[in-house]
Amino acid sequence: MEPILNLLAAPGNNFVVTLLLSTLAFSSPLILGALAGLFSERSGIINIGLEGKMLAAACATAFIGQASGSPIVGLLAGILTATIFSIIHWILTQVYQIDHIISGMGINAIALGGTSLIAKTYLNISEKEMPTFPVAIYYIAAWVAAASIWYLLKSTRSGLRLFAVGNDPDKSRQMGLKPLVIRFQALLATGLLTGLAGALIATNAGKFSEDMTSGRGYIALAALILGGWKPWPTLIAAVAFGFFGSLQLILQGQNSNIPGQFWQALPYLITLIAMAGMVGKNRAPAGLGQP
Amino acid sequence: MKFLGWKQVILALAGFALIILALIAAKAVPAEALSQVIEKAITKPSGWRNILKESTPLILLGCSVFLALKVGLFNIGADGQFVIGACAAVVVALNVPGPVAIPLSIIAGILGGALWALPVGLIKAYRGGHEVITTIMLNNIAGFFTFYLVSGPLKDPTSQQPSTASIAPSAELPNLFQQDTFRINSSLIFAIICVLALWWYLKRTVGGYEISATGQNVNVARFAGINVNKVIVRTMSASGGIAGLAGALQVLAFEHRFYGNFSPGYGFDALGVALLAGGNPLGILASGTLFGTIAESTSVLSRTGVPKGLSYILLGVLVIVFAAYRYRKEAQRGTDS
Repeated sequence: MEPILNLLAAPGNNFVVTLLLSTLAFSSPLILGALAGLFSERSGIINIGLEGKMLAAACATAFIGQASGSPIVGLLAGILTATIFSIIHWILTQVYQIDHIISGMGINAIALGGTSLIAKTYLNISEKEMPTFPVAIYYIAAWVAAASIWYLLKSTRSGLRLFAVGNDPDKSRQMGLKPLVIRFQALLATGLLTGLAGALIATNAGKFSEDMTSGRGYIALAALILGGWKPWPTLIAAVAFGFFGSLQLILQGQNSNIPGQFWQALPYLITLIAMAGMVGKNRAPAGLGQP
Repeated sequence: MKFLGWKQVILALAGFALIILALIAAKAVPAEALSQVIEKAITKPSGWRNILKESTPLILLGCSVFLALKVGLFNIGADGQFVIGACAAVVVALNVPGPVAIPLSIIAGILGGALWALPVGLIKAYRGGHEVITTIMLNNIAGFFTFYLVSGPLKDPTSQQPSTASIAPSAELPNLFQQDTFRINSSLIFAIICVLALWWYLKRTVGGYEISATGQNVNVARFAGINVNKVIVRTMSASGGIAGLAGALQVLAFEHRFYGNFSPGYGFDALGVALLAGGNPLGILASGTLFGTIAESTSVLSRTGVPKGLSYILLGVLVIVFAAYRYRKEAQRGTDS
């Protein structure tokens, strides 16, 4: 997160502008990750694997970008890697019908192990400068994605089908829909969005480092749950989490009485409290995890 | 139907290819790596010592996840409960003098773990919140909370790192057997007793039967007069208690202090141990030792330059392939009945 630290250190920036900019920087990967989760969970696939997909995408974006010297090749490699992981996820949950939690955890383990292996073996590549796109492109992409997903779910036939498959796969099958195909499409979208999220995380840091997503895939999942699996509330939850993240970073330098770990734990605490408070109101897609 | 379908064979081959690919990507020769592992981890007394040391927490955490799986819950939170248990045990061990500290610390560890798992059971039973989500949240909160404790209130003032002071030698769990480089710590006895107790509890008691009944079909269990919500809360807390025990023993037997980022990420390993044990708790001894051997093998390899990330790939492939095979068995049973 070096560019953000530079931003905070820059003289002449006033507090509000700094907070706003760093909130954007912190929340955009969360928005992209949470929307990726929205696609797969709306189609009925529980996605614990967001973390692994984002991590793999960050690794591919950084290393392929550094090796080729081209930002577009790096970004495409990131998206492709996340998409391959998504397709593997689809094969495991749909073709092999492996439990969604187990397959998601397995994907995370393989991504964590694989990227750490690459980072340790190819140190010479990671020393090169990483070619990047301006981060603003990713910020815009995150908000555009939220708007288009909202439109897709609300007003199009495909959105309705996604809802149907995720809520009741059996009935939708009787209506002539093919859950397998719709879920495949949903996971392609998950791949694209986690790819963007991972690429943004690598771009923010300027290089890849081991386990650099550091749980942001899980925070994205928390935002999705807090947002009740709906696009706009999910976006608001992700922005709120990003706000806490940047607040923590700003307050860190100012000897506050509240320890930094409190702000880091806050998104998780809020989600936990919200889950404890939802009186008998389970808003999850009804067909989550069903074949 | 055949014992193994072609789909499972393809998946196993793909997994095997991925592991070989990872070895090649790490610039290692697969055959050479294997001979290194056999020479340094599997045939040497110091290797056995490390395997037993690695296996002890894995067997206990495997018991924790196994128990939760029996009632139909994924305890991804064993990691957080482990950390809280270890932290609670250190606090007691640092403040109680003499050997009494050992039982008291163990009790503190169990209570800490059980308490950390309590909200998971409550939210699952009375609010319908998915246990995987709540445990992931609690794992992260446990990590940040304990990191704060060891860098603030519990910090050893003489240490540069975020760490507590070391516990007194009288509070350490002794070795049972020691010769040259080989030793067995008494914490292994706890792990074996825990497996046997779990087996006995699940097979021979009413409480154990209630757990299996709830895990197999919540509605049937409810009709049979079982208070399903209570069983879920009770089992989840017990599962957390076992994970807390693992944390306490890790401190008393091996680490002798508590520090920031205490767990090397046991959550996934523990799930793997429990899944690979199959339906029988006694299988945890075998699967725990297998995972311990993998951990020791990869740390031998990391000394020869193959990064430790390999172990995650290995475990991920192992668990996925096994889950694909096991599901198939259950699906067949399902269509028969």
